[in-house]
Amino acid sequence: MTTADHFALDEIDFVIQSHRMESNWAAEHLQVIRTLMERSAVYRRALAPIMTFNGILGVAAGVIGWSVKINSSRGFIGYWAGVGVAALAGSFLLVRRQALKEGEPFWSPPTRRIAQALLPALFVGSVAGLVTLVYPDWDFLQYRSLPPFWMVLYGCALTAAGFFMHRGIKLLGWLFILAGCALMVARCQTVTSLPPLNGHWAMGAVFGGLHLAYGIYLYFTEQRGNGM
Amino acid sequence: MNAQAFLQLDRVIHEKGRLAIMSMLAASPELSFTEMRDTLKMTDGNLTTHIRTLQEAGYVSITKSFQNNRPLTTCSLTSSGKRAFTNYINLLEQIIQQTKPK
Repeated sequence: MTTADHFALDEIDFVIQSHRMESNWAAEHLQVIRTLMERSAVYRRALAPIMTFNGILGVAAGVIGWSVKINSSRGFIGYWAGVGVAALAGSFLLVRRQALKEGEPFWSPPTRRIAQALLPALFVGSVAGLVTLVYPDWDFLQYRSLPPFWMVLYGCALTAAGFFMHRGIKLLGWLFILAGCALMVARCQTVTSLPPLNGHWAMGAVFGGLHLAYGIYLYFTEQRGNGM
Repeated sequence: MNAQAFLQLDRVIHEKGRLAIMSMLAASPELSFTEMRDTLKMTDGNLTTHIRTLQEAGYVSITKSFQNNRPLTTCSLTSSGKRAFTNYINLLEQIIQQTKPK
């Protein structure tokens, strides 16, 4: 008798013993399959270095922008667009380094999914910044409203990506959305709120602060989380 | 209770380790050896043995390449593997339906 035959007989005997138990067994089996399929689609790169890098960059950019007094509309948008590109490039390099270190392909299916999820909201944010830069008198969006608008869009991008990442990313996305909404309300409350210098402060505190806080949190929890 | 469904369960897939590998590959177009090893917490030898069994059954195809001068082994499900996995899932669902208390 082969091992496989023996195994098959075991299964049949078990069926005869208890239908109810067999139903549970099959349901548990399906649940394990479902969990493994979800895990296989989840993005596995360590996020702590990426979040910390973006946090430090955001806080530093906020402080520099505020202290150097970059207060023209073009200066503000161009400055933060540059910071955004630097953040993206830095994150890209960190992800690539991790992939190389682990001997895995960089542009893996989970990475592709994350990029696809992030893209629409980031694209809209970039276009909004570009249009406001080129047409400063655009009545739909003025550069002083850009920080909350970017925060909301970035939050939407993270929430979308959160479907393929650790659950904490969705929460971080919601914090960005809430911060953006709160700033929108603050902007409506006073005419003078969020002038460029306050804009630097808001960008540094929200983009830098939230990333940094999440990065620090992940440093203490990610090791355990990766064990999934 | 009809035991036919149990007899039809694919023995190659039904083993715990191989079922885990098939489940992961079913959700992703391809996965590297290291990704599977780390997620499933298997040893290199254990994973290699299971993958070889699945390959011999024609369920998994293996691609070996080099990335930055380091060998990279990626696995994916063949069309026959996808079919076998779908059948396996269908049979499990059938078992649940058959044994559900009325």
